[in-house]
Amino acid sequence: MNTTTVLLIVHGLLAVALLGAITHQTVSVWAPARKPAGSFVGRFRSVAGASYANAIIVLYVLTFTLGSIIYPEYRLEARVVVEQMGLWPQTGAFELKEHFAAVGLGALPVYWYFWRQPLAAEHARTRAMLTAMLAFIVWWNFLVGHILNNIRGFGS
Amino acid sequence: MTPPRSFAVFAVVFAVVFAITYVIAVEKNYALFTYHPATSEFGGGVEQPKDGPAMYWYGWLATSAIVALIAGALAAVLPQGLARRIWSGWSWAVPVCVMVAFCYILRQYFLR
Repeated sequence: MNTTTVLLIVHGLLAVALLGAITHQTVSVWAPARKPAGSFVGRFRSVAGASYANAIIVLYVLTFTLGSIIYPEYRLEARVVVEQMGLWPQTGAFELKEHFAAVGLGALPVYWYFWRQPLAAEHARTRAMLTAMLAFIVWWNFLVGHILNNIRGFGS
Repeated sequence: MTPPRSFAVFAVVFAVVFAITYVIAVEKNYALFTYHPATSEFGGGVEQPKDGPAMYWYGWLATSAIVALIAGALAAVLPQGLARRIWSGWSWAVPVCVMVAFCYILRQYFLR
């Protein structure tokens, strides 16, 4: 197993943690539990969203950084093959992934500001929209990265 | 940690300018530097591929970050009355529009 494969696995694990955190926060913002939760879904909705913000930022930056480090390997080894196979939608999806990730990175300072305690009620909509946008980016990037990785298979 | 009030203006303007600059940088290829992964070399500005593909993505990020930092810093010293008129919603509305723009720019990948 080479260094890139190890970094890719760590990148994927960080992405899983990020996915869980941002999904929790998004659900807590858009569908908050109104009463004490007993069910799994209810408990999922009733988390304190603000407590996730710093972890999400750290995980996003770490995942982004690792992705940036292994990106040249994708550009040299994987993308050529994907293009030769004529998998244009998959190539385009990865192009979107890199651009969405960059846009999300630029929104992190404002995301942090609007999630700092105590939460400002007048910015609730902005907070919710920023969270939803980041959640979309994280989900898109996770799924696309997963699909692209599966095209060639582990360790190939 | 309590940031100064001006940080809100900085952060909103940073998010907006970063997204706009990024999409312009990609479209016009305003990369601050180029990375050549085959040879692990960096070059200033936009360079042609050599011994393999050229990567501009890092350069686009750097260009966008610098422009957004300058714009944010300038916005942070705006008079409070003016700064208060900046709608916080621009911080998500503009990046979302930029994401939609990228879907349009890259549509050929999905229409082949």
